[in-house]
Amino acid sequence: MSMLSLKGSGFTVHGSGFKSDFPVSLYPIPYTLILSCLLFLCAFSLPALAYDKNELAELNDMYKNGKYQEALDGYLKMTQSESENPYTFYNAGNAYFRLNRPGFAVLYYAKAFKLLPRDPDMRANLDYALKQTGQALVPDGVPKALHYVYYLLSDLELKALAIIFFWLACFAGALRALAGEKLKEELKTAPYATAAACLFFLLWIGVRDSSPFTNGAVAAAPATLLSGPGEKFKANATLPEARLVKILDEGDEEYYEIGLPGEGIKGWVKKTDLQKI
Amino acid sequence: MKFLNSLKNVFKFIFCYTLPLTAIVLAVSLMAAQNARAALGISAQIDRTELEITDNLYLTVTISGDSASVPEPTIPPMSNFNAYSSGRSQSISIMNGRITTSVSFTYILTPRFIGRQKIPAISAFNGREKAITSEIEVTVTKSGAAAGTAQGSPPQHQGAAGRAAAPKAADTLIFLKAETDRRTAYPGQQINLLIRFYTAVPLTSNPQYLPPAYKNLIFEDLPPVRNGEVTIKDIRYSFSEIKTALFGLSPGPASISPASVIAQLQSNEHIDPFDPNFFQKFFSMNGSQGATKELKTENLTLNILPLPDGAPLSFTGAVGNYTIAAELDRNRVKTGEAVNLSVTVSGTGSLTTVTAPKLSELMGFKVFDTMSSLDINKKNDIISGKKVFTTVIVPRSEGPIRIPQIKFAFFDPEVKTYREVETKPLELNVEKGDSDAKNFNFTQPGTQVVSATGSDIRYVSDKAKAPVIIRAAGVLFGMAWWLNLLPVAALLFSLLFSNIQSFRLRNPQIFRFRQAKAAAGKDISRAETELKADRLKEAVSVLYDSFMEYLSDKTGGKISALTTRQARELIKDRFPLMDEYHLEEIKSFWEQLEMFHFSPSSLTAQNAKDLITRYTVLLERLEKEFKKK
Repeated sequence: MSMLSLKGSGFTVHGSGFKSDFPVSLYPIPYTLILSCLLFLCAFSLPALAYDKNELAELNDMYKNGKYQEALDGYLKMTQSESENPYTFYNAGNAYFRLNRPGFAVLYYAKAFKLLPRDPDMRANLDYALKQTGQALVPDGVPKALHYVYYLLSDLELKALAIIFFWLACFAGALRALAGEKLKEELKTAPYATAAACLFFLLWIGVRDSSPFTNGAVAAAPATLLSGPGEKFKANATLPEARLVKILDEGDEEYYEIGLPGEGIKGWVKKTDLQKI
Repeated sequence: MKFLNSLKNVFKFIFCYTLPLTAIVLAVSLMAAQNARAALGISAQIDRTELEITDNLYLTVTISGDSASVPEPTIPPMSNFNAYSSGRSQSISIMNGRITTSVSFTYILTPRFIGRQKIPAISAFNGREKAITSEIEVTVTKSGAAAGTAQGSPPQHQGAAGRAAAPKAADTLIFLKAETDRRTAYPGQQINLLIRFYTAVPLTSNPQYLPPAYKNLIFEDLPPVRNGEVTIKDIRYSFSEIKTALFGLSPGPASISPASVIAQLQSNEHIDPFDPNFFQKFFSMNGSQGATKELKTENLTLNILPLPDGAPLSFTGAVGNYTIAAELDRNRVKTGEAVNLSVTVSGTGSLTTVTAPKLSELMGFKVFDTMSSLDINKKNDIISGKKVFTTVIVPRSEGPIRIPQIKFAFFDPEVKTYREVETKPLELNVEKGDSDAKNFNFTQPGTQVVSATGSDIRYVSDKAKAPVIIRAAGVLFGMAWWLNLLPVAALLFSLLFSNIQSFRLRNPQIFRFRQAKAAAGKDISRAETELKADRLKEAVSVLYDSFMEYLSDKTGGKISALTTRQARELIKDRFPLMDEYHLEEIKSFWEQLEMFHFSPSSLTAQNAKDLITRYTVLLERLEKEFKKK
């Protein structure tokens, strides 16, 4: 006959050949910590993708001395080698701004904002560049605090958190299934709580899908908004340079179907006229 | 009654606690305000209280404050004096992080009228405090020469002037001219502007001078006003001239808009323009009538040249001819104590625009703000002086520390090359102190309100790496998708295993029945081991217990507690299809085991071996029989 006994720091399932030891003190929080530590270790174990700091200092000196084009060339090279570094995009946005190219300035600020939306400098410069082109980072009528919370985490972070909580929910469920009565009681809510957190982040991702920064684009130059995907269709509007748009469909080879939520307009624009964020 | 008591307590609280507390807070606030108010001071002095109309009066306005920069004085419009800036001198002292600044501004005043004149109150305002001087009274008398002339013989040049002036048009007898000593200059190179007012006719009142406006230039007055006489095309003129030093700001065109003089021409000549004291005479006239004439200079354009390439690293834009020196206010100090490092740039050039030399890496020091003081003099119409940059440094480690040379580069426009000068290295002995460096700054916290004057994007970032959290998220999101199946598999496996365990706990007999043979097989192995070790009795005991356990597992009953007959009935009841032969085999084997188990004296090795063999064969047969269920 099988029986389960708790002894000290572990429990043992006796009988019928099954014998397994688990530390009773393992709660979901330590598991979370362990998993987080593993993730951070993964991050640190990345190859040295970060570019040379001296190189950045040189480029920043160029920027400081007004050599914006030279600085921009360097910043763009860095964005290619480090596509997840928001600061390179931010610096490139600054150089574009100084070169009086608002379309690309907004584009690169938006790329930086997409990666690190809570950075105050990135928010400030994106807002500034948008205001220069008749737009605003925080839409009219939306409280600033709410907008800040809505963009507290980047898309990448939201997805990573959803994955982490998915793993945690599975492991908490598995542990609870294997645990003895006492531990099972202690773990009663852990799988549901972690699953709820996973769902929460998935929901956040879903809501953020409507954001222009999630699947958006910027008009690098004035572009024509057509009523259909082709030249034969009527032009409905002209997108000014630096206009932020939402991509609705990119299935067509040559045209994006885009939407302008503020104006309630949608139409097609040549892919070459827009730059995806 | 209770309500009245409550009310009484409330009043008691207000009068005994709240009001005194409020009074104390107000008193402290007022004292603080008084202290703050005392920070800005102003005083005005003149070199004498009585002067002749032909003399100049030196006015010195001293402004003191407790911050690195103090405001310039506001000289109100003076109808009875012409005022020209003559220079400035500044001194700064820093004691334990407290700064005291004193700046003296010197002005040259030329009187316009004879009699008791007043210099109006002069004020200074630093954005939060205003300081003001009292009025100063000056007595202006006629000059001795003028008085003699007026009382004695007629002016020597009157006849000549009359002859020359009479047939000429008014435009040629009175005019204004502006010229610069150079038309091209480098940024920061001095250009002297000369504005000269010529007249060969008498004036009824003091001319009003309106200085020009400058574009891409900064200026410094070069007083005093000079007077003289000159003959141009046979006409003798009296002239009055003022010089201004100009400095270009950036390469490109610069311009000087027209300067103006508004003069009142006298219809009847009462004053000879060739009188040596012509200007003072007409300045001293009152109430004379005449025609008003406005004279203007032409618009002047200048070309500011770009500086040549090849500037040294220490070049910060200074143009002129400078020397540099550095000193410490003491050479023995304890760690954590502040030392003032003063770097003095002296020479000729636009010192106003000279910025602090770059301090080389001061290892072992905590470096605080740098502030500057400026002394300017205008001797021989050349702007020169010194600018002292004072930096508070705090040594962090003990021992002798050497402050390396501080380099300062400038462009010398005379030889058109960059030059670099440097200070001597400085030595500082640092002893072990009691505390770490305190913070020093030269601003007055919380006293000035910042008002935005413009907006711009924020500066570039110097962060080379993406934040760790983003990199970690990137790694996680970059994982192969199928890895996410691992936790799902673990969950499914755990649930399955848990269900099996649960079923096992609910139905233990089934598992005992299935595993009975395996357990018996292990027991046979143990019995064989005992047999090999020649422990015959133990081998038989193992077989006996094993057989009892096997039958118990198969039947679900406690066989060892039954007799052979009862056991046979139980087996028959549970497994009715089992044939009689096997039931007899069970009975026979059981009895044989019991015999050797309870009377081991007759047991031999061969017997034990036979028992093991028989048990093995019996198990195989019984397994088949039990499956007939």
